[in-house]
Amino acid sequence: MILIKDLCKAFGDHVVLDHINCRVAHGKTTVFVGPSGVGKSVLIKHMVGLLYPDEGEVIVEGKDLTKLSERELYELRKKFGMLFQDAALFDSMTVEENVAFPLRHHTKKSESEIGDIVAEKLRQVGMPGTKEMMPSELSGGMRKRVGLARALALDPEIVFFDEPTSGLDPVIAATVDKLISETQAELGKTFVVISHDIPGTFAIAHNIGVLFDAKLIEYGPKEEIRESPNPILRQFFARKAEGPIKLV
Amino acid sequence: MRALLATVGDRTTRFSAEVGRMTLFLLRALRCLLTALPNRETLVEQMAAIGAGSVVVVSCVAVFIGMNITLQGYYIFKQFGGQNMVGILVALAVVREMSPMTAAAMVSAKAGTDMAAKLGTMRVKQQIDAIEVMGVNPFWLLIVPRIVASLLMVPLLVTLSNFFGLISGYLVAVYQLNVNPGLYVENVLQYVRWSDLLKGMIKGGVLGFILSVVSCYYGYYASEGAKGVGRATNRAVVVSCVIGVVVNYLMTEIMYG
Repeated sequence: MILIKDLCKAFGDHVVLDHINCRVAHGKTTVFVGPSGVGKSVLIKHMVGLLYPDEGEVIVEGKDLTKLSERELYELRKKFGMLFQDAALFDSMTVEENVAFPLRHHTKKSESEIGDIVAEKLRQVGMPGTKEMMPSELSGGMRKRVGLARALALDPEIVFFDEPTSGLDPVIAATVDKLISETQAELGKTFVVISHDIPGTFAIAHNIGVLFDAKLIEYGPKEEIRESPNPILRQFFARKAEGPIKLV
Repeated sequence: MRALLATVGDRTTRFSAEVGRMTLFLLRALRCLLTALPNRETLVEQMAAIGAGSVVVVSCVAVFIGMNITLQGYYIFKQFGGQNMVGILVALAVVREMSPMTAAAMVSAKAGTDMAAKLGTMRVKQQIDAIEVMGVNPFWLLIVPRIVASLLMVPLLVTLSNFFGLISGYLVAVYQLNVNPGLYVENVLQYVRWSDLLKGMIKGGVLGFILSVVSCYYGYYASEGAKGVGRATNRAVVVSCVIGVVVNYLMTEIMYG
């Protein structure tokens, strides 16, 4: 479970997150949505300890990330998996080496055991037979799948997704959404997603948080959020240019 | 006037912030270095990249440095009939100053830019973030092995540079300028001591440490895509060379002053 208490973050004079409070449910998919530049990526970076808050607490698995030593933080991160926006695969490594990376660093498994796990994870994300390929040979959707296989390699308790469908065409985006949904259902782990893809959000989420103007303006089950009368949500979900959300 | 003061103040603030961040980076690297052995795979890869990758360029530069100093020294000493003493100048200049500086400069230009560009690319493509989130310390995996590799390889390149600088100086002095070969060798052996060779290697190690820390620092904190990686690479060379010449002067003062 992830608990965020009064999280505040500013870069210079620009306040990005202003007293954010929420409890991310265990074993569910929680999606944080909001317009571009609203601080979604900053929020997820706090949850994995890549950024530290100016104020507030980020409690993951009962531990306050802001109070952990460097060693304790790295230890805790072994329970995390993360799919980055562009998958962040290592260019100089093959698909197999990418997926095997966390296994080689954190387990004492033999090469044959690692090979079996890699094959299993690649099968799970629909990418069997690609282990010898280099990331440069993969399409955007394939990179995301391999990134997900790597994120799942250590069977993490929490999997984070940073804009998993950005830059993909609608069909591939829907395929990735389906993959996330099916994987979550199969594994029953906690998935935290940030996105601005509305159809995808409703397809995969159990809970939705809406960020706007540095604040978490709505947070709850997706059915409640879908029916919310909040004009900001109505504009965002209806993809309208007119409304309280203004382009800067 | 107010605008000028504002600009000076702004630049001073940014410079102080940069120095502070670089110091924290260095402390984090040192803490990592002292608490765990660096990643062996990256260390071997970097030793090969720095050593084998810079051998040709360091040797070529050393050859021409030796030849150049010989020519200059010869024409200066000839004015008062001391051309046979040119070996002293060549030996001391090459061993004490030129080899450490040129070896470090060449490694900075070749391996240092590679460090900054590679780490910068990894940073802007979020690969360093990915390493962190996978529970692996990027300082252990990427930074410390590069620093240790520089620390080990630059002194060896200094020794190689000494060899080529002295040999090329000898060849020019003896075969082009007709300096007495016996006197040249005798002067070199008389004036260059083992301590000079050792001090040159120490200088190389310190300069290698500086260039690798600076190059890794700029790469590690690169931002803003390809433009940021280019800027990081550029700064890595300029800043490490500037710090290098200042530190080299201080080391000369301490070692020979």
